[in-house]
Amino acid sequence: MVCKEWPEINLEEYEGVWVAAFADNEGKEIEEASLQLIGAARELADKLNTYVGVALIGSGVRELAEKPIYYGADRVYVVDDERLSVYYPTVWGKVLYELASKYKPEVFLIPATLRGRELAPYVANSFRTGITADLTSMDVDERGDVVLIRPPFGGFMLAHIVTRNRRPVMGSVRPNIFPTPERDESRHGEIYEERVEIPPPRGIRLLGREPIMKKEEIPIEKAEVIVAGGKGIGSKEGFELLKRLADLLGGVIAGSSKAVDAGWIGHDMQVGQTGKAVKPNLYIAVAISGAAQHVFGIREAKRVVAINIDPDAPIFEHADYGIVGDYREVVPALIELLEEMKGKGKIE
Amino acid sequence: MLKVVVGIKWVPNTTSVNIDPNTGTLIREGIPSVVNPHDLEAVEMALRLKDEYGGKVTVITMSPPSAIAGLEHVLGMGADEAILVSDRAFAGADTLATSYVLAKVIDRLDYDLIIFGQETIDSSTAHIGAQVASWLDLPYVYYVTHAELRGGKLVVRRSLEDAHETYELDLPALISVAMHSLNPRRVRVSNKLRVKLENPIKTWSNEVLGLDPECIGLRGSPTALSKIEMVPKVPRKNEVFRGEAREAAKWLLEKLKEEGLLELG
Repeated sequence: MVCKEWPEINLEEYEGVWVAAFADNEGKEIEEASLQLIGAARELADKLNTYVGVALIGSGVRELAEKPIYYGADRVYVVDDERLSVYYPTVWGKVLYELASKYKPEVFLIPATLRGRELAPYVANSFRTGITADLTSMDVDERGDVVLIRPPFGGFMLAHIVTRNRRPVMGSVRPNIFPTPERDESRHGEIYEERVEIPPPRGIRLLGREPIMKKEEIPIEKAEVIVAGGKGIGSKEGFELLKRLADLLGGVIAGSSKAVDAGWIGHDMQVGQTGKAVKPNLYIAVAISGAAQHVFGIREAKRVVAINIDPDAPIFEHADYGIVGDYREVVPALIELLEEMKGKGKIE
Repeated sequence: MLKVVVGIKWVPNTTSVNIDPNTGTLIREGIPSVVNPHDLEAVEMALRLKDEYGGKVTVITMSPPSAIAGLEHVLGMGADEAILVSDRAFAGADTLATSYVLAKVIDRLDYDLIIFGQETIDSSTAHIGAQVASWLDLPYVYYVTHAELRGGKLVVRRSLEDAHETYELDLPALISVAMHSLNPRRVRVSNKLRVKLENPIKTWSNEVLGLDPECIGLRGSPTALSKIEMVPKVPRKNEVFRGEAREAAKWLLEKLKEEGLLELG
């Protein structure tokens, strides 16, 4: 017996690893998070001995259809329609559902950008299948089932999640969890121009849209040097001190969830499981205690420095170099020394 | 008059949870449960709409009975009534089965608007809102920072990575509130007194709802946990300096220089 709300399916019919790909803001490129997911899908598809399919939907996206192939896709299914020039979660969700229903992929992955996080559970629900949010790796188990792996509680553990009797197996993946694959223009693949029913947006209208001017600052997930502050910073002003240090090191500032909760720094600059995963060469954690959910976000950092007044702070266990001391003294000392070095031209 | 339903979750306060370095296990003791902080922002948005336009705010949660403390908290903030959706048959539900029960509960209520928090601090999936919208076939928008009524329709603002957007939604509709966008109000003593006197918390079990056991709880969940493993710790050097600030700074910069990590900006 299965739930009467679930349509009957034949598991055998489902094959292939699919990725939903979206164009970026100006519609000139496939967004980075989609390309990264194509790379991850390639690896899984090779384990399953199957193909990588990309669902590319939007308005004017036909001209981008070769690009997923360069990054590892075998088949690209394009729905290019003017009615998709405005994004509505219900409309895009239904189009992705229709498209995937036609080809029945075994796995369907959606990038967990803000739009993707809004859309993915809607698509999964349309299939009456489950979905695993923010997976960080994928595998195939002894039964041949796909295993989606995610950190469930604060980043201490990895949960292996299987979907035994429903398809597709669905997952969402945050940007920068997987690397962007090498672009290889010699790769070949097939492009299918698809026509699916595009429902009108019901009960929802976009009234206005103002593009956010891209900040001059490097986003933290791309920064080579990050100076991050935590609860112990104590104030917004404290972050100005961190900013001076970051500027001297050619880096950017970031914060822990507690610093974001306190309103000292924006959520787009939050490092951790509930923020962003970062991979700088140098990560300086200032007055951050080192809760597991934070440490989870700096696993890929090459070197971690911790500055903390509490010698027992867990962050020291996750740091290469630790300084026990008050950041109000240590950070100004670092700034002073760096300014001296710079003045003397000791370091280029 | 706006009838708003808010869904909340009673969660262990995981942001303060840590690992016992000796045993490698979770330190669970003394970790209190709280109303998911981002759900308090959803309650706050509902209460602001009620303050502005009048109406009623009903808060629902699917949880073991311990969540009554959380429902008392949001009633203390000013919500009108609360429903604890609780039954052993609901246990072990993944987000599909959870959203199914919540949708069936909401379906029995008279509502114009459903509000959820952006995500929870324990599992942070952000699934439930979209799934409930799918079950009820409602228009929905996530990450709302501001909502108001204009000519009987809900106008909402939200921000994505690349744009600020304004949408108009016909009611009934579903929204989720952007985390860190609102400051939830405090509990008021007068509201708490009302809770004591009127007891506005109802409990709905599956006897009330009568849902097919195949669609709820563990059995109604397509996803299953096959294994849990500890996240391996990334090996680090763990060199620590204790001493005067300028000496410490010198020590650190020397180390970074040796490794070629100092490139002054």
